[in-house]
Amino acid sequence: MQRRLQFLRRSEDEDIKDAGLVLDFDEMARKGVMSKEEKNVAKWYGIYASRQPGNHMARIVIPGGVLTSTQARNIAKVSEKFAMGKLNITTRTSIQLHWLKLGSLADIMRALADEGSTTRHGCGDVTRNVTACPLAETCRYRRFNVLPFAQRTARRLGDSHDLDNLPRKFKISYSGCGAGCAQPFINCVGAIAVGGREGSEEPRGFKVVIGGGMGATPFIAKELFSFVPAERMVDLTRAIALLFRDHGDRFNRSKARLKYVVERYGIERCREIVIENLRAEGVSTEGFVVEGFREADASYPDRPLAEEDTVGTDGSVTLRIMVPKGEMGHRQLKRVAELSEIYGDQRVRTTNRQNLELHGIPKENAEEVKREIRKIGLGTTGFYGLRDIVPCVGTTYCPKAVSETRALYDLLQPLVAQPKYAGIEKAAVINITGCPNSCSPYRIADIGFRGSRIREELGSTEGYEVTLGGTPERLGEVFGEFKRDDCPGVVEKILDTFIALRSEAESLSDCVLRVGAEPFKKAVYE
Amino acid sequence: MNYQYRKAPNPTEFSVFTGLGTAALDLKTLARDVPCQAACPAKTDVPAYIALISRGENEAAYRVNQEDNVFPGVLGRVCTKPCEAACRYAWTNAEGPVQICHLKRSAADRLKTPPTPLPPWFQETGRRVAVVGGGPAGLTAARELRRYGHRVTLFEREDHLGGMMVDGIPSFRLPLPTIEQEIKLITDSGIDVRLGSDVDRSGLAKLLESYDAVCVATGTMKAKSLDLPGIDGAEVIPGLRFMKQYNAGVVKSMKGDVVVIGGGFTAVDCARSCARAARRIVGADDRVTIAYRRTEHHMAAEMDELEEIRLENIDVRTLVTPVKAKVENGSLRSVVFQRNVMGDDGSDAGKPRIVPIPGSEFELPCSHLIVAIGQDAETEILPEGIALADRQQTAEPKLFVTGDFLTGSLDVIHAVADGKSVADEIDRFLVGEVRKKFHVSIELIDNDGETGRFRDHDLQEAPAMPLRSIVERAVGNAEVEKGLSDEATRVASSRCYLCNHKFEINQDSCIHCDWCIDVAPRDCIKKVSRLFVDEVGSPREYVQTDVAAEATYIYIDSDNCIRCGKCLRVCPTGAITMRKMERTACCSTKNAAGEVRWERLTARLDERKAARGRT
Ligand SMILES: Cc1cc2nc3c(=O)[nH]c(=O)nc-3n(C[C@H](O)[C@H](O)[C@H](O)COP(=O)(O)OP(=O)(O)OC[C@H]3O[C@@H](n4cnc5c(N)ncnc54)[C@H](O)[C@@H]3O)c2cc1C
Ligand code: HEM
Ligand code: SF4
Ligand code: SF4
Ligand code: SF4
Ligand code: SF4
Ligand code: SF4
Repeated sequence: MQRRLQFLRRSEDEDIKDAGLVLDFDEMARKGVMSKEEKNVAKWYGIYASRQPGNHMARIVIPGGVLTSTQARNIAKVSEKFAMGKLNITTRTSIQLHWLKLGSLADIMRALADEGSTTRHGCGDVTRNVTACPLAETCRYRRFNVLPFAQRTARRLGDSHDLDNLPRKFKISYSGCGAGCAQPFINCVGAIAVGGREGSEEPRGFKVVIGGGMGATPFIAKELFSFVPAERMVDLTRAIALLFRDHGDRFNRSKARLKYVVERYGIERCREIVIENLRAEGVSTEGFVVEGFREADASYPDRPLAEEDTVGTDGSVTLRIMVPKGEMGHRQLKRVAELSEIYGDQRVRTTNRQNLELHGIPKENAEEVKREIRKIGLGTTGFYGLRDIVPCVGTTYCPKAVSETRALYDLLQPLVAQPKYAGIEKAAVINITGCPNSCSPYRIADIGFRGSRIREELGSTEGYEVTLGGTPERLGEVFGEFKRDDCPGVVEKILDTFIALRSEAESLSDCVLRVGAEPFKKAVYE
Repeated sequence: MNYQYRKAPNPTEFSVFTGLGTAALDLKTLARDVPCQAACPAKTDVPAYIALISRGENEAAYRVNQEDNVFPGVLGRVCTKPCEAACRYAWTNAEGPVQICHLKRSAADRLKTPPTPLPPWFQETGRRVAVVGGGPAGLTAARELRRYGHRVTLFEREDHLGGMMVDGIPSFRLPLPTIEQEIKLITDSGIDVRLGSDVDRSGLAKLLESYDAVCVATGTMKAKSLDLPGIDGAEVIPGLRFMKQYNAGVVKSMKGDVVVIGGGFTAVDCARSCARAARRIVGADDRVTIAYRRTEHHMAAEMDELEEIRLENIDVRTLVTPVKAKVENGSLRSVVFQRNVMGDDGSDAGKPRIVPIPGSEFELPCSHLIVAIGQDAETEILPEGIALADRQQTAEPKLFVTGDFLTGSLDVIHAVADGKSVADEIDRFLVGEVRKKFHVSIELIDNDGETGRFRDHDLQEAPAMPLRSIVERAVGNAEVEKGLSDEATRVASSRCYLCNHKFEINQDSCIHCDWCIDVAPRDCIKKVSRLFVDEVGSPREYVQTDVAAEATYIYIDSDNCIRCGKCLRVCPTGAITMRKMERTACCSTKNAAGEVRWERLTARLDERKAARGRT
């Protein structure tokens, strides 16, 4: 029979998705193999390939990055049993388990479900883990608590089965203020709380930006509305998801994300479609402000996450736990859960710098808890600074990786820990990503590394593209390409130059913005 | 610190990124990447016209063919299609090659506006050229010489043009109107045709005196004779003569068994024509037999034509050699054959050796014996002391030879190709410089690697050519092959990979992520430690590796690339580009400084046309 040729301008993935998005993991366990189609659909269950043949990765969805201590203990237990005891925190506040065998995937999902955790929609062309700024509930800069919005959005979009088959992944984040600690500008939808502080008469709402994203071609999100009444924010995320569903490119998966829709259509046309979508579902757009909404007090800090041991609005301390390379063992997570039960609010929070947080620690217990944390080998200082390097998993687990990001992490740590950099410790962050997917968003770090291989006269060697001057709202510029072993020398030159040129308390990125990349290039290449 | 690392060179298979590639490398890349075009003696731009057909642009598709192979309607029926044997599809797809030849016919049969003669390339030169022989070689040479601006007179012995296309190939394979229409496109371009002019040695001498150049394209008219003990030759009908009579409609009906000896076009056509003349097709008693000394694989006919022959009630006996004939009362009774076996090795004038089997003689009764074992050129036409060599220009500088006359009996497409090149030679002789040359125009197509078709198109079944039923074939001379339907044409044309699109990796952007390798449908992308290029820079060999550290390049092996575009779409660094290449006729211009610049002839023509439009 001649082939059906109706929908030619589609990727093969679209046919697979059309055939259905439900899998029977017990049957696969029985067969012992996963077909190509099953592998594809498994992403909807948060199951992805791992670099090691025969092993799988599961991504646990943690909306807003908040786990109950029971859930954390349970995840630690699942890891102990099925994942060689390892846990990896991701830059979108999920937890990844590696080393999973096909035969145990169904059991893992059931075991997680025991305490209300899931891997569903951990990967796949759906709304991914909805994130919120880590301090959402208690941050003293926040406009209001955005965590409930993140959680409600996750529930609402996750339950909308008409949003199960989007052209690609769809990422949403909520930040409590303009500081944007949840990286709104690199998400498909970034919601930033505006107005409505406790005790003020101002209406509560969000500024909404769309079309951001990292990956091979990074985009900074554009403003869709400068004010959206808070009570219709969740409806709006659905209307944007519909825009994406109906207008994303289903032929070329590398150009499928919302950022390309915004690029192709322009923000105005996207706004029109979103408004149509809202109306079609009976949601009023009254009170939406396209441009020019001004908050009564528009102030917010520059790098709030660099502050250590912040004291929340409730007077308690937030303790950060530095997890090197984002990877920890099941005993460590279990102990952290225990500490949250003994001293904190019985919750463990994951952060987008692949660290953990404990909230609600009484001031008087803070030092004691820190000692306990250090006892299990995790750190308690250096957050959002030079030593808080974020590497993606790289060739350790990821099948897409080009480089061994963790090796570079180990090369850079002793360098940045030198006393001469104490003065600029909080003035720069470093992200290392193993391939252009940018799982560690290197373009928004002061210094970014993206893995590559550099051609030699014969063969090739591991190297990195280095970018300089990124901030969560501004992409770093490509600085050069260096062999791995040359990277520490390059970083040293950049930091030394920064110290020499720094004006007052500016960050490295601001310094680069002010003086340009030239002086740094000169220092490195001469 | 110096971080300017030393790297292996960044190889590329074009001399320029876009624009006109005038280096040897560019033509080599084109030949390697578009194997069908390279295999076509006339270098027909196959993917270009197939793409046009699949978009329903038959006129434009016809034009591409008209330009490249002169007789699209004819070749779309009878071409020996060396292109299809080379088609990349035939390497990777069990459905067989793209039906390049039949598609040509599909376009020719579907023209809504009739084609017009091609425009000249150059102004009138005032030079005069005589072409002797109006077969495909002579007609092609005449057309091209005319486009060079020379005045052409064409001398033909018969009362019609076309040579073996008319006199040889029977109309149930190639209807007369098709040929006539395409000949008219040539003669309408302003060629002085002298029919009924039999040019002999003295006639040729006169032409050499009064013309600036003379081209002989008189084909191979002299039948090779077969020395058979038992007969004096009168009973033997030469195949060529039989076909001429058949095509002229003077063979009425035939009684008695026929034996045709030979394995070339002529033998098969004779047998099929006899079968019609004898109304043998529908099962009259008389028998038509082809007897050939090698096997079916060595015959000019292809396997599917041989199948048709059997359907038409023709016996094919192979590995047999005639040893004598028996005549009784002045009429032929039978031919005695000896059987052969294939020799293990060695070759006999390029064909495999056969060994006779002693004592294997057998007798085949027959009343007619047609011998079609080949033809030779009538070289007596050449001036005293001038012999055929392997060049088109003879020892007499004004005298050129082309087509079957020069090459021995080949086929129409070789005759066309030879006619084109002899015109180039003659022009160079007359003008003293090369005025037209082929280069490769290279265009970047920046559209996510879409060639205009999709991967699913590769996975279609090749449609079959519909044939006239045996009963229909028995009446008159109706064409056996009916032509592909609209739907079949759509399918057949959308199968072509469009190999004129080239995917290449810019090694300076590639980061060896291997994602392209992961999505590729073939072993088209390789990790390569060493790449060996030839003297013009064209990759010849490479050493593959699986180890990242040994990989100097991630390299697209064009031979295995089926132009799916997946690698380009997945590449995160934009290292992969898709460029379209086209063989382009160019003419040179010299600027004030004396530097030679090449420009597209068609562009120049368009300009001229536009200029005419303005005045
Ligand atoms: C029966 C048969 C079937 C064939 N089938 C096919 C086929 O299916 N596919 C294919 O590709 N090829 C086929 N061929 C071969 C093909 O037709 C020839 O190779 C081709 O026509 C050669 O072209 P030409 O111009 O060199 O010579 P010809 O076509 O032979 O033309 C020579 C011309 O010169 C004229 N002429 C000869 N002597 C003189 C003279 N002294 N003065 C003036 N004019 C003269 C002749 O009348 C003739 O018109 C077939 C040939 C035959 C005989
Ligand atoms: C098994 C290993 C992994 C695989 C195969 C994988 C795959 C991918 C892919 C294909 C993308 C590209 C998305 C796009 O095209 O936009 C991507 C992006 C991303 N991944 Fe991963 N990933 C892996 C591990 C991780 C880890 C460990 C983290 C976090 C620490 C992570 C966080 C992200 C983030 C934040 C992005 C988004 C960049 C953006 O905004 O576009 N991934 N990943
Ligand atoms: S400063 Fe950061 S953590 Fe605090 S509310 Fe603002 S965005 Fe959230
Ligand atoms: S696929 Fe098309 S372009 Fe490629 S060789 Fe075959 S006919 Fe030619
Ligand atoms: S003319 Fe013949 S060889 Fe050339 S492309 Fe056409 S069918 Fe093929
Ligand atoms: S386009 Fe790329 S992936 Fe497709 S066949 Fe060619 S080299 Fe392979
Ligand atoms: S996908 Fe692009 S960067 Fe990666 S190996 Fe292929 S050509 Fe190189």
